[in-house]
Amino acid sequence: MRCVRTLRSAMLRDFQRAFRRDLLGDGDGDLAAFTGMAPDQAARRMRIYRNNVQGSLAGVLASAFPVVERLVGKAFFRAAARAFVERHPPTVPQLSVYGADLPGFLAGFPPARTLPYLADVARLEWARIEAYFAGDAAPLDPAGLSSIDPADAAGLTFRLHPAVRLVASPFPVQRIWQANQPDHGTVSKVDLQAGVERVLVFRPAMTVLAHVLSAGDFALVQGIAAGATLGSAAAAAIEAEPGFSLQQALADHFSRAIFTDAA
Amino acid sequence: MDGDPGLTAAPIPAEAGIGLRHPHVAAFLAGRPAIGWIEVHSENYLMPVGPRGGGPRLKQLEAIRRDYPLSCHGVGLSLGSAEGLDDAHLTRLRALFDRVQPGLVSEHLAWSVTGGVYLNDLLPLPYTDEALGVVCRNVDRAQEAFARQVLVENPSSYIGFAGSTIAEWQFLAEVSRRTGCGILLDVNNIHVSAHNHGFDPEPYLDAIPPEAVGEIHIAGHFVASLDGETVLIDDHGASVDPAVWRLFRSALARLGRRPVLVEWDTNIPALPVLLAEADKAQAILDALCPYPAVGHVA
Amino acid sequence: MTAKTLSVAAALAGAISVAGMALSLPAYADNEKCYGVAKAGENDCANEAGSHSCAGQSTVDYDGGEWQLVPAGSCEEMGGSLEPFEGVNPTPPA
Repeated sequence: MRCVRTLRSAMLRDFQRAFRRDLLGDGDGDLAAFTGMAPDQAARRMRIYRNNVQGSLAGVLASAFPVVERLVGKAFFRAAARAFVERHPPTVPQLSVYGADLPGFLAGFPPARTLPYLADVARLEWARIEAYFAGDAAPLDPAGLSSIDPADAAGLTFRLHPAVRLVASPFPVQRIWQANQPDHGTVSKVDLQAGVERVLVFRPAMTVLAHVLSAGDFALVQGIAAGATLGSAAAAAIEAEPGFSLQQALADHFSRAIFTDAA
Repeated sequence: MDGDPGLTAAPIPAEAGIGLRHPHVAAFLAGRPAIGWIEVHSENYLMPVGPRGGGPRLKQLEAIRRDYPLSCHGVGLSLGSAEGLDDAHLTRLRALFDRVQPGLVSEHLAWSVTGGVYLNDLLPLPYTDEALGVVCRNVDRAQEAFARQVLVENPSSYIGFAGSTIAEWQFLAEVSRRTGCGILLDVNNIHVSAHNHGFDPEPYLDAIPPEAVGEIHIAGHFVASLDGETVLIDDHGASVDPAVWRLFRSALARLGRRPVLVEWDTNIPALPVLLAEADKAQAILDALCPYPAVGHVA
Repeated sequence: MTAKTLSVAAALAGAISVAGMALSLPAYADNEKCYGVAKAGENDCANEAGSHSCAGQSTVDYDGGEWQLVPAGSCEEMGGSLEPFEGVNPTPPA
């Protein structure tokens, strides 16, 4: 039975594969034969579909990466998106997850090589998208930890809120992002030589927020994200930043509601 | 939000509704515009699920849903895919429906997925026996996964196929007959396709079994001139064309009173403009298909 | 108990005592109305119309010499500080 069904759908499947090849750029033009229209009319009508698919997906990418679009200009973005769509079409019919591969694509995209920070800005924008669409979780109430035996504190592990993301870059990506917001009234200078910037992206409730962390604080959250105990994450933080204050960092993170659980 | 008892299903009334799109969500959160019901695209609200799963967008929809009957209109299930439906997508959709309790669930007589790639358009099918079998299997599968009836919408299209052996209206009626699915009759799509393929829209309406139609769509379209050929593009980017209003009246005369939805997806106007278009549909509905007078029931 | 575990315990205790109140900041309030509605990642069912003048453009082949665009950059917005990276733009084909 199964074999028979597969055979019955074979022609439709081949047609759909051919249609897809035509839409995404490497079509051999054999669709005209399917349509029964004159070749020039069939080609004209097929362009409508090609334009819909490529244009709508470019629009989806532009809405997810508005700062990247602003940095490169609309024409460049549109053309880059087109190249991206052909190489990385969506695999899931849910466009809120489409674009995860764009930062990596931009990193290896020859025409964008004059903007070495571009891929990292894209990573920050994607982290914000992921944070926005992440699930909800109740924050950890730090008061619940006050009864913990001091001898057990270093062995604690924390679970991060599902929206937490970390982005580190050799460029000041958060400042670039900030300077390119539509409501950013005054022109601000961004010094590209300012050095490494480490960003915590989080969403305590309905709003995505971002905060630049110190080297030690970033190492702390990175360690916690990887499942390390508070003691070893703190040790990594102090190694990254000798003057690191664990108390200050923890107090900040409790108030940002980035933890949901401790064990 | 803790302790929310959850939503219970509210049926879609036979009144005018609007498609709720991103630019108008804030207005619906800030106030409660007067409209009989709303429809959203299901795929825009598929979020991580779980006890507190959701995120802002789904929370906002839930808040609005408390005050309006909601229809979930899918655009990504790809009922025409030869390779069948995606289990994971069916599961995500079911989780959404369980959460927001839509009064109607609908999809399209079209395809958008092949070889694991989603093409983000409602692509045309050759209307053959093979395609009929594929669509019926997929509709059965969806109705089983959702444990409810699905309405299937007639598409707009720009190309037809030499191999098609069944007229679109016969194909749609047969899918409904075989699977028990309902029909979402998009009057603008009939007008657009009738122009682009050169058929008469009235026999199309005649072929649709009235009892299967659970909803009507109306929208604007774009008249494009491509190399001298006039092609209607289904962009949902303008007010409803006079010819589509006429076809809408024809449809109501055959079907009787039905829920009617105004879709506006590109060049989205200020909310009052969209609501005025819905008012226009409502007035036609009330004039052509008034509710029977009450008070004489024994 | 080592000095290190003691200092972790002390830092944790200190953090617990000063944290908490910020959880009631407006940005953290669980209120669907206070968030600007995000438009990213929306599935749509409409066709592209306004851009049909460019329908059927040949696809971009940046490896094959058709690429003619260079990023616009945003020197003005960023105070001109992106200038160090100018001068290495790919040469547009003649």
